[in-house]
Amino acid sequence: MRKPWITAMAVALPLALAACGGSAPPGTEGSDSGGGGGSGETITIGSLHPLSGSAAADGQQMDNGAKLAIDAINEAGGIESLDGAQLELASADTQGAPEVGQSEAQRLIEDGAVALVGTYQSAVSQNVAAVAERNQVPFVIDVSSADAILQQGYKFTFRLQPSAQVLAERGAEYLADVSENAGAATKKVAILHEQGPFGTAIKDTFSAKAEELGMEIGPVISYDPARVSDFTTQITTVRESGADVLMVAGYYRDGVLVANAVNTVQPGLDAVWGVANGAFDTPQFPGEVGEAGEGFFDANYRLDMTNPDTQELADKYKQEFGDDIRTAAVLSYDAVRVIAAALEKAGDASPQAVRDAIAETELDSLIAQDGPIAFDEAGENENAAPILMQVLDGVVTQVFPEDYAEAEPVYPATSGQ
Amino acid sequence: MTDTPTAPGAPTPGGGTVTAEEPTDSTPVAGPAGAARRRAVWTRVGITLGIVVLALAVAYWRTGNGVVVTQAVLTGLMIGGVYGLVAMGLTLIFGVLDIVNFAHGAFLAVALYITVVMVERLGVHPYLALLVAVPLMFLLGAAVQRGILAGAIGKPLENQLLITLGIALLIDNGLLLFFGPNPRSVQLPGDRGVEILGAVVTLSRLLAFGVSLVLAALLYLLLQRTRLGTAIRAVAANDSGAQMVGIDTRRIYMVTFAIGTACAGAAGVLVAPLVTIEPTTGELFNIIAFVVVVLGGMGNVVGAVVGGLIIGLTEQLGALYLPGQSPLLSVFIVFVLVLFLRPQGLFGRKA
Repeated sequence: MRKPWITAMAVALPLALAACGGSAPPGTEGSDSGGGGGSGETITIGSLHPLSGSAAADGQQMDNGAKLAIDAINEAGGIESLDGAQLELASADTQGAPEVGQSEAQRLIEDGAVALVGTYQSAVSQNVAAVAERNQVPFVIDVSSADAILQQGYKFTFRLQPSAQVLAERGAEYLADVSENAGAATKKVAILHEQGPFGTAIKDTFSAKAEELGMEIGPVISYDPARVSDFTTQITTVRESGADVLMVAGYYRDGVLVANAVNTVQPGLDAVWGVANGAFDTPQFPGEVGEAGEGFFDANYRLDMTNPDTQELADKYKQEFGDDIRTAAVLSYDAVRVIAAALEKAGDASPQAVRDAIAETELDSLIAQDGPIAFDEAGENENAAPILMQVLDGVVTQVFPEDYAEAEPVYPATSGQ
Repeated sequence: MTDTPTAPGAPTPGGGTVTAEEPTDSTPVAGPAGAARRRAVWTRVGITLGIVVLALAVAYWRTGNGVVVTQAVLTGLMIGGVYGLVAMGLTLIFGVLDIVNFAHGAFLAVALYITVVMVERLGVHPYLALLVAVPLMFLLGAAVQRGILAGAIGKPLENQLLITLGIALLIDNGLLLFFGPNPRSVQLPGDRGVEILGAVVTLSRLLAFGVSLVLAALLYLLLQRTRLGTAIRAVAANDSGAQMVGIDTRRIYMVTFAIGTACAGAAGVLVAPLVTIEPTTGELFNIIAFVVVVLGGMGNVVGAVVGGLIIGLTEQLGALYLPGQSPLLSVFIVFVLVLFLRPQGLFGRKA
């Protein structure tokens, strides 16, 4: 005799687990981070990233990026205005879960962190921003695109990466420019986006801007990034619609599936156009999909490989961690630099003083953007902007705008399509 | 106790169930009962075909494009084959041991990484990993059952459930520790698109589909035609009864869990070229596999395959009907409907 509740449990429990993402207290470093804040001592900065779970690859990169920044600053003599105070990083694992991020943020603050950096997932950042505001501790977001985070009137939260709105608008403008320059102006754009707040925000803004620029939008297809296992039906729909370009807003695993489906279906597109795509501009992507990804574009924030400092950081990362650095890790590196610069400027390690100094930041970035890092009233990085990249000969290459271009864009990019 | 008591010559779909009839049922039931059952089967086939035709018609009406519908059906069948394969091992364990095995996806992930290691280190064809992964996973399954789960037999079911959950977390994070978080991939040499009626499918998917059907057939034969299979079915039907006729139930529990885990191993190798391999990849299959198991009837191997195909088709056609919704929405609509009409699952027997 089987009990009916087994059935119920069998279905309900994995769903519940998927929803809450576990809640075990993660092991973290920095248990010795006492007081902090006194001059000439050590000052603790909290790093909140998803070190386990499905975003662990990016999360660990980002934590490593923050560590490298701390090391570089300490080697250069620490914070001079505070008698050479050394910095210390207290890393915490958010597991990608908002409630874990929230409790870990609280813990780091209670352990004496004067500022926080993080967190990658918008939902987590949203909770951490609330904790930071309540405790009056500055929080510098390295990666998280949701516009809503900074629309709450928070005074203690700042964001380095461009918001979803900037990413999507520039993505549409670049598409118009690049296709017109190539003499093959885009007429119809199909959209494939993940169904969460990130993909939907990109889709909405991109559609509005593209229509303003004279392009027709359709079909618009959304999908569940956690569950999708094949895109051939969706790409067949795109082929049958006669669209010239496919815009894709999504994450890594789904991006790989899109590339494979495009290769299988051969939809005859001028370009596959990522906007803030989590796959098309990563160093791993061309290796994983091979020929199938050749010619893919992505408009996204990007470490500036034309900047010698960034190249040096990339070499150092490779040497230390045996892996290619991702843009997310460079943003974490910059986030720690922003806090260090603020400490230097304030000459005071109290969270309030650091917050005020961050608000007046003007610091060169290792990311390709319109100018130095500077925050507006809402806490957005005013000069944050995406650039356009394309997979050329199996390497992600900066192709547009010209200031940051390593090579000319190849358009239409018909190889493998 | 063997397969004969059901309608002779015409094996009903229900014949594949591990939860075979109680021995008392297996006295003469040919004649009228057999004919009635056959009629019931045909009614069911008719209803199923009717639903499928209706579903396709609606899909065509929604998209207005035959190629898109063909593609959705083809992709759905291919994905469904893989779901069936993953669910087969799970349903076997479910049927015999009454364990809700949350570690199934994690076992699958282990097989994925075995494939990665063999392809990257030894440069062999990915499918050759079957020769290593299946026996290794069989042994791992046996060890886990004997070493960890056996102690919980006879204890409340939550105990076993939480143990398997713990094993899953252990494996996931062990893989994260050893292989790091970076995604890996395995390419099938000579993989390309194959065109079928205007729709395309990659060779790797087609092969995974074909091999999973073959494996399902083998597992079916193992359960129906061998002494071991008979013993497994006997334990599933009534373990104390099986013990009384001299079956070593402890051994059967271990072997069944090992076979189930080996199925996860085979599934892992076959899906390796189709997915991005990360420590958490196995979790992708967990929810769907449980749905397939319950839909097909717990402990029923044929039910798992058919359930897998239904879920695969539902996902793809559902995406055409309700664009922008999670594929799980249409899956659970079908799931709830099926359970409402047949609470024991499509191929399950009333308890």
